[in-house]
Amino acid sequence: MARFIFPEWTQTFRKWALLLLGGAPIYLVALVMCGANANTLRVGYQPEQPVPYSHALHVGELGLDCRYCHNTVEDAAVAAIPPAATCMNCHRMIRTDSPKLTPVREAFANKKPIKWIKVHDLPDYVYFNHSAHVTRGIGCESCHGRVDLMTQIYQAKPLTMEWCTDCHHDPSTARRPEEDITVMGWHGENAKVGYPLTLPEREKAGLNPKNSILMNCSTCHR
Amino acid sequence: MDTAIDKDETPQKSTAAAVFQRVTETVSGVVERRTWPKAWYIAFAISCCLVVLLGISLWHLFFTGIGIWGTNNTEGWGWAIVNFVFWVGIGHAGTLISAILFLMRQTWRTSINRSAEAMTIFAVMCAGIFPLIHVGRPWVVYWMFPLPYDMDIWPQFRSPLMWDVFAVSTYFTVSLLFWYMGMVPDLGTFRDRAKSKIKAVVFGVLSFGWRGSAKQWHRYERAYLLLAALATPLVLSVHSVVSFDFAVSQQPGWHTPIFPPYFVAGAIYSGFGMVLTLLVPARYLFGLGDIIKKSHIEAMCKVLLLTGSLVAFSYMTEFFIAWYSGNPYEGFTFFNRVFGPFQWAWGIMAFCNVVVPHFFWFKKCRTNPWIIMGLVLLVNVGMWFERFIIIVSSLTREFVPATWDYFVPTFWDAATFLGTIGMFLFLFLLFLRYLPMIAMSEVKAATPEAHADHHGTH
Amino acid sequence: MSSLDRNQTQTYWRSLDDLADAAPELKKIIDDELARDGEAAGDGPLSRRRFMQIMGASLAFASMAGAGCRWEKEEIIPLGKRPDNYIPGKPKFYATAMELGGVATGLVATAYDGRPTKIEGNPQHPSQGGGATTGFAQASVLNLYDPDRSRHFVRKGGTLPLDASWKSFQRFAAEHFSKLAQSGGRGLRFLSEAQSSPTVRALRAEILARFPQAQWHEYEPLSRDNEREGTRQAFGAPMRVALNLTQAKVIAAFDSDFLIHHPAALKNARDFARGRRPDDKVMNRLYCIESAFTATGSAADHRLPLRSDLVLPFLLALEARLARNPGASPKGAFLAEPEVAKFLKVLASDLLHNRGKAVVTVGPRQPATAHAAAARINALLAAAGRTVVYYVDEDPERVPHTADITRLCRDAGAGKVHTLVILGGNPVFNAPVDAGFKNALAKIETSIHLSDNVDETSSVCTWHIPRAHYLEAWGDGRAFDGTYTLRQPILEPLWGARSDIEVLAAIAGKTETPQELVRKTLDTVLGPATIDGTLRWRKAIHDGFVPNTAFATTTKAPGPAPAVRLTASQNAGTRRANGDLEVVLVPSTATFDGRFANNGWLQEMPDFMTKLTWDNAALMSPKTAAALGIHDEDVITIKSGGRTVDAAVYLMPGQAPFSIALAVGYGRTHAGYVGGLASAGIDPPGVDVYPLSTTKSPHIIGGISVSRTGRTYKLVGTQDHWKMDKLGMAEREERAALLIREATLKEFKQTPNFVDHMMHVPGHGSLWQEIKYDGHKWGMATDLAACIGCNSCTLACQAENNVPVVGKDRVAMEREMHWLRIDRYFRGDPENPTVAYQPVGCQQCENAPCESVCPVGATVHSSEGLNDMTYNRCVGTRYCANNCPYKVRRFNFFNYREFLDNPKNKVTSLQYNPEVTVRSRGVMEKCTFCVQRIQAVKIASKNDKRPIRDGEIVTACQQACPTDAIVFGDLNDEHSRVRKLHESPRAYAMLEVLYTRPRNNYLARIRNPHEDLS
Repeated sequence: MARFIFPEWTQTFRKWALLLLGGAPIYLVALVMCGANANTLRVGYQPEQPVPYSHALHVGELGLDCRYCHNTVEDAAVAAIPPAATCMNCHRMIRTDSPKLTPVREAFANKKPIKWIKVHDLPDYVYFNHSAHVTRGIGCESCHGRVDLMTQIYQAKPLTMEWCTDCHHDPSTARRPEEDITVMGWHGENAKVGYPLTLPEREKAGLNPKNSILMNCSTCHR
Repeated sequence: MDTAIDKDETPQKSTAAAVFQRVTETVSGVVERRTWPKAWYIAFAISCCLVVLLGISLWHLFFTGIGIWGTNNTEGWGWAIVNFVFWVGIGHAGTLISAILFLMRQTWRTSINRSAEAMTIFAVMCAGIFPLIHVGRPWVVYWMFPLPYDMDIWPQFRSPLMWDVFAVSTYFTVSLLFWYMGMVPDLGTFRDRAKSKIKAVVFGVLSFGWRGSAKQWHRYERAYLLLAALATPLVLSVHSVVSFDFAVSQQPGWHTPIFPPYFVAGAIYSGFGMVLTLLVPARYLFGLGDIIKKSHIEAMCKVLLLTGSLVAFSYMTEFFIAWYSGNPYEGFTFFNRVFGPFQWAWGIMAFCNVVVPHFFWFKKCRTNPWIIMGLVLLVNVGMWFERFIIIVSSLTREFVPATWDYFVPTFWDAATFLGTIGMFLFLFLLFLRYLPMIAMSEVKAATPEAHADHHGTH
Repeated sequence: MSSLDRNQTQTYWRSLDDLADAAPELKKIIDDELARDGEAAGDGPLSRRRFMQIMGASLAFASMAGAGCRWEKEEIIPLGKRPDNYIPGKPKFYATAMELGGVATGLVATAYDGRPTKIEGNPQHPSQGGGATTGFAQASVLNLYDPDRSRHFVRKGGTLPLDASWKSFQRFAAEHFSKLAQSGGRGLRFLSEAQSSPTVRALRAEILARFPQAQWHEYEPLSRDNEREGTRQAFGAPMRVALNLTQAKVIAAFDSDFLIHHPAALKNARDFARGRRPDDKVMNRLYCIESAFTATGSAADHRLPLRSDLVLPFLLALEARLARNPGASPKGAFLAEPEVAKFLKVLASDLLHNRGKAVVTVGPRQPATAHAAAARINALLAAAGRTVVYYVDEDPERVPHTADITRLCRDAGAGKVHTLVILGGNPVFNAPVDAGFKNALAKIETSIHLSDNVDETSSVCTWHIPRAHYLEAWGDGRAFDGTYTLRQPILEPLWGARSDIEVLAAIAGKTETPQELVRKTLDTVLGPATIDGTLRWRKAIHDGFVPNTAFATTTKAPGPAPAVRLTASQNAGTRRANGDLEVVLVPSTATFDGRFANNGWLQEMPDFMTKLTWDNAALMSPKTAAALGIHDEDVITIKSGGRTVDAAVYLMPGQAPFSIALAVGYGRTHAGYVGGLASAGIDPPGVDVYPLSTTKSPHIIGGISVSRTGRTYKLVGTQDHWKMDKLGMAEREERAALLIREATLKEFKQTPNFVDHMMHVPGHGSLWQEIKYDGHKWGMATDLAACIGCNSCTLACQAENNVPVVGKDRVAMEREMHWLRIDRYFRGDPENPTVAYQPVGCQQCENAPCESVCPVGATVHSSEGLNDMTYNRCVGTRYCANNCPYKVRRFNFFNYREFLDNPKNKVTSLQYNPEVTVRSRGVMEKCTFCVQRIQAVKIASKNDKRPIRDGEIVTACQQACPTDAIVFGDLNDEHSRVRKLHESPRAYAMLEVLYTRPRNNYLARIRNPHEDLS
């Protein structure tokens, strides 16, 4: 048979072929980058909780301080979820018959504990210590977002390593006076919560990220 | 040296056309022949089994862990890295022959460069396996590449292992391009001679619609020259970088500045060893006697002689420096190589790499295929043991005597290595079967007839 | 997305999940807890513990269901009511106590959410070495979570094992013993392991009052009765001989390993080390005369390898010399040998020269006469009250253990016993063979055994009662000096096990809870409460002991020396010539008397001397072996009175000629999946050598014969021993001298900085700008003059850092995981070498070779100079390990947590320290200077805005070290101890030529030999 050289009609495919060759990789990379991104996967994670507890109501409207329930936050790594007893402090008197609170009364009466779904769930090899942050002027809001506006708790920040280090490079911008730790929507001096200085800015400010204890691996991983 | 066809084998004076015709016939004949030598089938069957073995051992490795190998606390690398260096070394001859000899206008290379390049590529594929599988957690090996992800960390560019990643992958890419581009005109020829439509279409696509017009030839040769120039430094760089894996560390027996040239010489030595190992049988199986000439084989033997002597010289230098430096640890390591528990391995290495090449001083050894086969096989063995000595014997006994121990390979060490040999053969045999194993166009260009009349139709 | 396999990385939430997910029976137990919880209301520590349990339980219910692209859904389950001052995830520390061989040790248990994870010494306890711990104490926490502990009562003849339970036992006991009470308890016997608990003693009194005919026996395989009887001979009443080494200038130890195998070993070690401070020119001198090489022997300035049966004549000869009446000296031929004679002469003169500051101590395996002689010698040296303290033994009537058990067996054999209650112990396994305990037991119709698991004894008893671990039960005891020590439980018994006190109470028909009984004991000990009993009780529990409750001491003078009849071999005994062989049974450093056989940490812990793991071996000196034509790892048959034992030979340099040492406590058939379980086809580590021990000669067996079987057996150690080629051995000799730098006190006084002259270190200086550490600069100092190689640090590290156990086969491949290893080097004549130890963990180099080669930056330098290892970033190229000159990096070649996939074993994960990541397969790991402890203190101190005090951060190894050889601190604080030690002239860095600039410095070893012997 005659030698096979690309016939005329193949010419029409040429530009498409080029487009495919050039475009496909870019598309794939973009897909992975966005798809696997924590902002896509984790931010906004809002599981159904056994008790429809509303932070918006308790914090936002009634103005409870975070530490009333999460009372270990200042002296322990874990910001313990309050025991049913804490709820009953008020709910002995208020809404004593609300069906929504049955699990709480259950838990309090016959110690059948409530099973809350963990929302802010870091990997097990990350050692986050609440007290270390709270007592150094990092507000709850910095990591948990505007809890006072959440009728049902959800994850507001990506909580990825990149996100953590953004602040660890230079926490100065996230710091706030200790009395304002639990304030939501805090607007104080340079209140750029979660928006750290850029590297040049940082160097200008004389902060050397290379030599900061906050950037040691062992600060979070042990 | 660049008489393409010996008189004794072709008594009658032949016209260019006839000669070109015969070249085409011989080479294409290899691929087009109906019946294949039994040897090929046997070899192919064996290689298939070994490939299966490779599969099994990798499966077992991924599901059980590095522990299936003989490595331990003091000896962290073992056979995996030995094999890696071994294969990368072999992967040197191809590009050397194609690029450097091409730039040096060594036309005798034309008979062997194609298969040498193929061998290079397959060898580098085998080598590439090991760095990936020898890590403890292969499923995160992508951290070795500079990719952006939400951990806000880059790989550590100070680590020689990082340099490896780049050096080897670059080398592989360029060799592949070089090999394939060189093949395009011959693929064109295959296409033209194709009997079946499928073949025609496949080769047609593979040959990128090669027409053989003067313009295409012009471009082709430019590109080839450029790639050759590009590949040349790589030949030297790859194994230099591989040698940094050791030279940059601080272990006695590794921490030596002589490593880069020493490794490159060794690599070329082993590379040519492997080329001969494959071509000597092929030449006889497929009757390529009058294209791969005795003279070519001899030339390669001489290269072995040269590089072998270089390697031997490197050994001597190492020992001299170990003594001259006055570093007790370095001194002991080399003393230990010769008289320590791995003395047997050192003996094998020394014999194969220092003694063996010197047989090539004798013409008989350079011409008798059986002797050559024997010797080059020894060369392969010797070069494997060189890496074994460097890696294993140095690591098992270094600074703190309390941690000294011995290294005993396991079944899976051997299985993985044999597996890669199988994979190498497997690919090479397929290459022989379906692709032009000799660069027809180049051989033709190298014939005196080609120079006799420049209007040689084609 | 998570790089460590998530089911591998256990936080405390997770491990509890796993636990109950997989262990249905535990779940059941916890359910019961929950059900029973109603009645647990009320306050007091018990109910607090109940709460702990409920919390554990509630956690345990958490599901592991995966959820979409996010990782598994986790649940947080708070308590219904949280007990006061309990903070989830924050460790709490409880004083408690552990009893070993009839002596209580005060401990402090670290507990996370009610699960103990770590044991430390009780630093306040007067009878101990500060916060230090023995290896056994460190490892005992693993026994608590031993999956092989029995989870059910077992009753032979009962329809099913399950029909046996505490309730059914109570029913049985009530009826059975009330029947016995009518007969005054004829045929009722009790066999207890040595117990110092006053509460048990009180119950025993009550029981014997209720059953006047009943008898109480006591047995310990490794008993110290010879000391009792010896002092009885000397003083007319048994005494406890305690050493006070702080005062001692010259110490002579006869077959005595008082630094390791002694109830007061911790105190002895601390005092001994305090007497060896070369920098202050304070150095005592230790002479050791012993057969088997002990850690004490390795610490000695002079050691004389001498067969155990020749120690007595040597001792008598010494006494004769000191008493200046040569006539009394025995005529043993060996005493004439120049080496021995010289040693004896110098020793005698040195002792006399230091009269009042010298002491002689004799090991428990030596006969009573030897102890009596020691008492007399100490009197001659005016040691009593100064360097040796005699405590009056609390019950002088007690017959020696061997005699006691023989009596029991005889009576049982005669059919006089029909009910036997065995409290702990394992007599079927470890009673002397000629007592014939097993046959005797077969004749007893009702035998009740209280033990951890269904062991050799339980399996042939009619009742098996799971015994509560000391962390699970109320109790008390007396320390070696008699200090009253309390034991409080940290958690409820995991498998419903019961304590001795509960069982005895049930038999005595008492209704009080153990807690109440112990409290009653406290009141009897302290006398009636003056102000507030509860307050006193709380304080006692809190402290873990009651001060000033030690035994009375006496400085009575010993009576005159009776005529001692020596055996033929002792008289004709020669050291070198081919006299008859003796076998010496020594306590195992791993299993003690066999009770720790199922403890993986201890089985894998390398022996101080041999560095062997997972085995005991017949130790003999190279010359002896050569004389007998035996080679290393040959299996030999040891024959004694018709009984034989086959054991593998290990050539032990420094072993006394013609004396073979064998460690007891191996070769168990009913220990468990670690220590050997015949029923499951699990071969035990090592061989059982108790068949050689008789009531006449329990530990020193003479007149034995040895023959080769022709077989060989692979012994596995963490350090390759004398099986090295000539070349390697020569090089090792050379290097060891530089790794462990050593000098005599004399040399040290002449050239204090001798360490700098030992090796030429070329002028250094980095090519690059050196990094400044302006914040903290953590450093460590290890004093080789103090290290006795006791392994406590290794085990403490293992417990603190979740270091896995890998098993014999993997140790054989040099894959042991200990982060902190102790290198041991011999020097000199193989028949009597000197030994030096060097604990080697990560040196935390400032120019760390491992860091620059890691392709992914998994190990990098912290701004405080620590060499951080980030497991979750590690890819596992092992390049760092290759490039580490100290070879301290450890690689997870396999998934060493696979055993957790078996639901039965999940409970083990409760021991894991939640502050340390549990490493997965394919990850590199190494010593971190206990970075989790550093972080904890840093965070705490910063929380309350104060600087870190020196000594506030204590690494696990440092805390466990009995000789205080390891010191950690901030090198930038010029007042810190570690800084001072780094500035000591003895300080040097390991392999300093490499300019890695380690943060750990070693302090050269100083010996103090006598000029006439050196």
